[in-house]
Amino acid sequence: MQLLRWIRRGAYIALVGAAPALYAQGVGATISGHVRAEGGAPLPSVSVSIPSLGVGAYTDTTGAYRFVVPAARASGQASIMARRVGYLPKSVAVSLSPSGSITQDFTLAPAATQLTGVVVTALGIQRSKSQLGTAVQQVSSEELNATHDLNVVNQLAGKVSGVNITGSGTQGGSTKITIRGANSITGNNDPLFVVDGTPVSNFDRGGNPNGGMLGSSNTDFGSAINDINPDDIASISVLKGPNAAALYGSRAANGVILITTKRGQASAGKIATQINSSMTWETPAILPKFQNQYGQGSAGQFQFVDGSGGGVQDFNDQSFGPKLDGRTMGCTYTGKVAVGQPTPYNQSAPCTQFTSPVDANGNLLPTPWIAHPNNISSFFQTGRTFNNNLAFTGGNDRANARISVGSENTTGIIPNNTMQKFTGNLAGTLNVSSRLSTTANVQYIRDAAHNRPGVGYNTGIMEGLYVWFGRQVDMNALKDYNVHQNQTFACNDQFNWNCNYHNNPYWIQYQNPEADARDRIIASGSATWKVTNWLDALVRTGTDYFRTNINQDYATGNLNYTDLAYNGAFFNYNNRSNENNTDLILTAHEQAKPWLQLNGTFGGTTDFQSFNYNSASSDAIVAAGIYNPSNSAKSPAVYDSLARRRVNSVYGSGSFTVANVWTLEVTGRNDWSSTLPKGNNSYFYPSVNTSIVLSDLVPGLKNGIVNYAKLRGALAQVGSDAPVYLLSPISYVGNANRFGSLPQYTVGNVRGNPNLAPEQTHSAEAGLELGLLNSRITVDASYYNKATTNEIVNVSLAPETGFSAASLNAGKMTNKGVEALVSVIPVRTQNFQWTSTFNYTANRNKLVSLYPGLTNYVLGSTWTVNTEARVGQPYGAIFATPFKRDSATGELLVHNGLPQNDAGHRRVLGNINPKWVGGWNNEVRWKNLTASALIDIHRGGNVYSVTNMFGDYAGVLASSLKGREVDWNNPGVVVHGIDDKTHQANTTAVTSEDYFQALFENGEAFLYDDSYVKLRELRVGLDLPSSLAGAFHATNVNVAFVGRNLWTHTKVPNIDPEFTYGTGNYQGAEFAALPTTRSLGLNVRITP
Amino acid sequence: MQSMHTHRAWALGVALTVGVVGCNNDSLTNLNHNPNSPVSVPPGPMFTQATQLTAARFIGNGFDLRETEFVAQHWAEAQYPQEDQYIRLDPGSTQPTWVNAYVTELEDFAKISAAGVAAKQPGVYAPAQTLQSWAFEYLTDTWGDIPYSQALKGDSAGAPLTPAFDPQKSIYASLMATLAKDATDLESAAASNDLGSADPVYGGDPGQWAKFANSLHARLALRLVNVDPATADAELKAAFTGPGGVFTSNADAAKLVWPGDGIYNNPMTDNFATRDDHRVSQTLANILIANHDPRTPILMQPRDSIPPGDTLGNYAGMPNGLTASAAATYLQTASRPGAYLYPGATTYGTFGSAANKAYPSYFMTYAEVAFIEAEAAERGLGGLNPSQAAGFYNAGVTASMQQFGVTDQAAISAYLAQPGIAYQGGVAGLKQIAVQKWIALVNDGDQAWAEWRRTCQPSTIAPGPAAIVNYVPRRFYYPTTEYSLNATNLAAAVARQGPDNFATRIYWDSKPTAAPTCTSNPPVPPAADRMQ
Repeated sequence: MQLLRWIRRGAYIALVGAAPALYAQGVGATISGHVRAEGGAPLPSVSVSIPSLGVGAYTDTTGAYRFVVPAARASGQASIMARRVGYLPKSVAVSLSPSGSITQDFTLAPAATQLTGVVVTALGIQRSKSQLGTAVQQVSSEELNATHDLNVVNQLAGKVSGVNITGSGTQGGSTKITIRGANSITGNNDPLFVVDGTPVSNFDRGGNPNGGMLGSSNTDFGSAINDINPDDIASISVLKGPNAAALYGSRAANGVILITTKRGQASAGKIATQINSSMTWETPAILPKFQNQYGQGSAGQFQFVDGSGGGVQDFNDQSFGPKLDGRTMGCTYTGKVAVGQPTPYNQSAPCTQFTSPVDANGNLLPTPWIAHPNNISSFFQTGRTFNNNLAFTGGNDRANARISVGSENTTGIIPNNTMQKFTGNLAGTLNVSSRLSTTANVQYIRDAAHNRPGVGYNTGIMEGLYVWFGRQVDMNALKDYNVHQNQTFACNDQFNWNCNYHNNPYWIQYQNPEADARDRIIASGSATWKVTNWLDALVRTGTDYFRTNINQDYATGNLNYTDLAYNGAFFNYNNRSNENNTDLILTAHEQAKPWLQLNGTFGGTTDFQSFNYNSASSDAIVAAGIYNPSNSAKSPAVYDSLARRRVNSVYGSGSFTVANVWTLEVTGRNDWSSTLPKGNNSYFYPSVNTSIVLSDLVPGLKNGIVNYAKLRGALAQVGSDAPVYLLSPISYVGNANRFGSLPQYTVGNVRGNPNLAPEQTHSAEAGLELGLLNSRITVDASYYNKATTNEIVNVSLAPETGFSAASLNAGKMTNKGVEALVSVIPVRTQNFQWTSTFNYTANRNKLVSLYPGLTNYVLGSTWTVNTEARVGQPYGAIFATPFKRDSATGELLVHNGLPQNDAGHRRVLGNINPKWVGGWNNEVRWKNLTASALIDIHRGGNVYSVTNMFGDYAGVLASSLKGREVDWNNPGVVVHGIDDKTHQANTTAVTSEDYFQALFENGEAFLYDDSYVKLRELRVGLDLPSSLAGAFHATNVNVAFVGRNLWTHTKVPNIDPEFTYGTGNYQGAEFAALPTTRSLGLNVRITP
Repeated sequence: MQSMHTHRAWALGVALTVGVVGCNNDSLTNLNHNPNSPVSVPPGPMFTQATQLTAARFIGNGFDLRETEFVAQHWAEAQYPQEDQYIRLDPGSTQPTWVNAYVTELEDFAKISAAGVAAKQPGVYAPAQTLQSWAFEYLTDTWGDIPYSQALKGDSAGAPLTPAFDPQKSIYASLMATLAKDATDLESAAASNDLGSADPVYGGDPGQWAKFANSLHARLALRLVNVDPATADAELKAAFTGPGGVFTSNADAAKLVWPGDGIYNNPMTDNFATRDDHRVSQTLANILIANHDPRTPILMQPRDSIPPGDTLGNYAGMPNGLTASAAATYLQTASRPGAYLYPGATTYGTFGSAANKAYPSYFMTYAEVAFIEAEAAERGLGGLNPSQAAGFYNAGVTASMQQFGVTDQAAISAYLAQPGIAYQGGVAGLKQIAVQKWIALVNDGDQAWAEWRRTCQPSTIAPGPAAIVNYVPRRFYYPTTEYSLNATNLAAAVARQGPDNFATRIYWDSKPTAAPTCTSNPPVPPAADRMQ
């Protein structure tokens, strides 16, 4: 306690005491008072002001405020207004006199589900929601932080309408978020993230279902927005479309996620301390269901000698081997196998395994051939996340500050995988004079991880565990992964079940060090000059700067990516990203007449981005354990790349509000971009929006049922520039690897275009906001219709042109949709309240056209299954190989008992887009106990599962028992179909192994309906009685049980239907993704 | 006071507007100059990369080792036999060869050629055109009609972005004309060694490139012999008598020696370093073993185990096109391809030596040229006569033996003296030439497959029991990309050539009964194509 007091005192001196007393105490009318919430709790951070005079202050932690009206202006009638985000604003008329003091208290009512409260909108401007003609949804800190997740975007899942989030819930993995569907065919479809006015990056270096070789997409390193500490967030405003976001320019076509961080509060000289701590435990939510009747091998045979082909099938990583019946002899056969006859097993040959003991002669001894049913699940462990956040805030009416430090330590569900995040945030406000106030905000973040597991194909752990792992393999034996003393088989410096394709998973996690870290600074400073009573000038500059370093190292004997003749391999990657954004914004607001309010904004921005990366890798090193290019046994592969761009802009908006009933706003913006050719690089785009509070316009509308009704509508256009460096028709690509000693060059595959023009998104939206039954029921619904035209696309060219693509303006994509947020308070009494909130999003996307003569663009491909932009289809069509079917009956056409891939007739078999997504939150508050549960629903859409394809191919999944119910050699699969020779019903029985392997690359058999329902969040929290809270010098202490991803309902077998590898446009194909975690834990919040 | 504030406000607004609008200057545009890639480079480094990519593409790992070598039945697939069953010869699987060839090395050769022509340097443009012609031949032999005359012009103003497909007949004519001109230009006074060490094949030697151009010209000419014997005769003569002549020894062979530095290894040895899917096809094994071929222990490895009752000895092949479970039973009991294709220590034990990583990829061998001459002689084409056939035949066999590493001249002589191997002349001689050529073409599946289609030899090539069609493919399916990116021109090609499937015969394969080596063993007409 002594320590805490010392820290507080020190912080106060540092933050406030040192602030120069520049504020000239005016002589005039002193306005002061307290602002409380209904129920009497003090409300901090309320803006109390006299808008017509441009003076005001914020309340401190006790709800007190005080400001002075200079004597020269302190006369006549004025109205004092109190506003706070999430509450209904309130105005009181007063008479001013030059020396008179006024005490004015306010009691603010919470805004019913944001129908009428104050929200943060574009450029950080706070506006009354009743005046907005566009769709904005705000999420408060409390809603956001009901439960804890490693990624702030995951914490939005299920809470905002119009938003589609996939992949939430893995430890440290990426999350894909789109708002109102994808606009761009090949460009970025992520929303723009803005923190306190500064655009920040959501860069990801994601994985890929195809995995990849050294240095490519074999690991999901998470997306960069993970860095933001959710505890520092005061609120998130989601600006859902171009209409709301038109002032943000190009990147706002995909919507904006506006993050406002917490700031200091005046505290009458006292420092307030806030603590938020949670501890959660994580386990895999879904693992594949494995079969336990057949062990490793093929055609019923297996004999381990050296794990690489020395024994019968011992290199093989499939589980079509002998039946796991506990036999110790006879796992290989002597003579010819006849279908349906007993297998001629050699009963004098021992069933040997990698775990077999060795006799005096070095021979492997027979070992019981039994299943290890938990061999995969036992590899996973219970992960742990400790999250601690400590914040101090304090100040007076001249200066205030908030400093917070947060740490998050995660122990992975996979052995030896850890993640650490450290955040420090300092925010300060200094009112230099009555006309000049300044703010500064610095966040430093270090986000680091060790030994993240690889994902996708050809990468190790996840793939090895999910589809290639002998069902008889004893995972426990693999824990001792180093070469055993009496090991008879050479196995690349490992003790392992297979020496041909797969590393020992423990060996990977403990011997192949992977480390990645991102150091990041997000900082901004601003000064606001009150030019006149009605005009503020704001100058603000901000930066988002980060460096990422990734070291992936592979030890001697690692099977993939390494030349086994040497001592391992490495991949070192560094990037440096920087975005600088400087604004000068003039804001005017004038209460021209009691019934007429005017607002205007005029500003300019210059935004500069640079992204540089370099990497060095080698598949061979000389001395073991030194992963440095200087230790490379071969010329290391090196890459270096720099991308820079600048956009200069001017923009403005003007609006009027008549009698608080009708608001009309127009905006316009012009951008000049470096990525477009001179002459085409300037583009203007306007928007208009309006709102009418019908219930005030037509008082008769207000009755016992309806108490609030508002209509809104908006039209907007947003321009967008090109990716960098597309203007030169030809560029040549060098190759840092010499061919022997010879340098190498090739013609780039993309034909550039010196005549590119900006692309345009046109959007219209209409909305209805209703309050019913005294706002016990509220509805906020929108319909929107967007079209992006003139898209800048690297259009695929027929390869025989010599180019794979050309940069062109081509194509049109539309999104139409409905989104709704409905909130119902079925019960509300003094001590009990039940609030039920449902949000609903249904988006319909269509690629209307591409370049003339062109029908599709491949976004990504796995095993001949493409995710495509295809004309006439929603973005993300799954184009794949169907079964060959009899043209007359539509039945499968069967050849020698096996179904056939109709490779010549690939077609659209599905689509990744859900029909609708929704979130349903129920919160029950009883006295000081609050329980809430959030259910997240995705309906429709398809997923192609390579895990299921290969899991059946390899015979490890429970589903692959089909056809070998009796034994491997009693073929039990009779495919329902027409024989292609007899044209009669097929009667040929085939073995399970031949059947499932015939489904290889089939697009139809492993395409699933991706619907799911998840219990996303559960929180049961108790506010301690205030007497107990007082013991902590706190006004509130909340202790809660929290859980995430506790339950999933889906029809997709064996995998979590919700996954992603990155934030890119290629989605919808799954293979060996990180498992989503189910987390349970405790959370303690101490609020001063 | 108020008005002063208002003036301040206007001044701010004007300053802001001027400040930002003024930012649209050249420095904004200059920021978009790409600092990573130049807009022009000299031809040498492009030639190096295009040459090694061409070898890797067509006589390397994917198209050759995993596709055409199974069709040609030098090798069979013991694990994951989808290629050997023709399943993974679907359009999606074979597409990368087509796509990547056009957009990388063929386009690069076009740029090098244009630079050489502009600089009047035959030593630059003729080697580029020769290798480009070589690659075009592989594409047209695999698919038939392909885009050619309008191809590789995607960056020219006004050029069609959907190039038309040319009939194979005219592609062959154009390729032969190009090669004839290249040989002439290379032997002209203007020719000098312009590529130098940037040419990893001949070090820029114009005379060697002329020989390669003439030899390739001869290959193309003979390919037409069934469908257009008169043209074949004239073009063979032009090739044999072209300036500089054809290959006359293994030293002339057009080959790429890989650095073997771990970064650029022979692509086949790279495959065998990590995969154990290949075994020798019994089609090849039976021919080698039955004739006591000295190449047997070079092209095959002793098998891991000999099942009880199996009398085949140390070397045996396996059938092509088996089901996965049937194929897997041959992993231990069939021979792996020759140790020379395996790098040093592999996960399967120690097979080859580290030096094998540098094993050359052969664009064209002297043995093949000798067999072309032998067949031309036997048929009395190209100015040769039947009395010369035996000599060329013996030279071809000897060259192939020596190229694969047989050093025992007595063993070669003994082999050649055997009944059935000793040259017989007539149709029997043509069959002997065809079979020997097919053996010599090990590691070049596409050429072996083409020669089998032209000669029906070896006659033991037949689809495996689990093959999805009951005939050996006559061509591959056009890539999926063509259906989406060049559909109209593709439709015209299909209308001209025949349905896009395995059964359709391409131009030079369209007279199945014209080959004397086929008449005694007529090809089975394909059944209705089940792939469609």
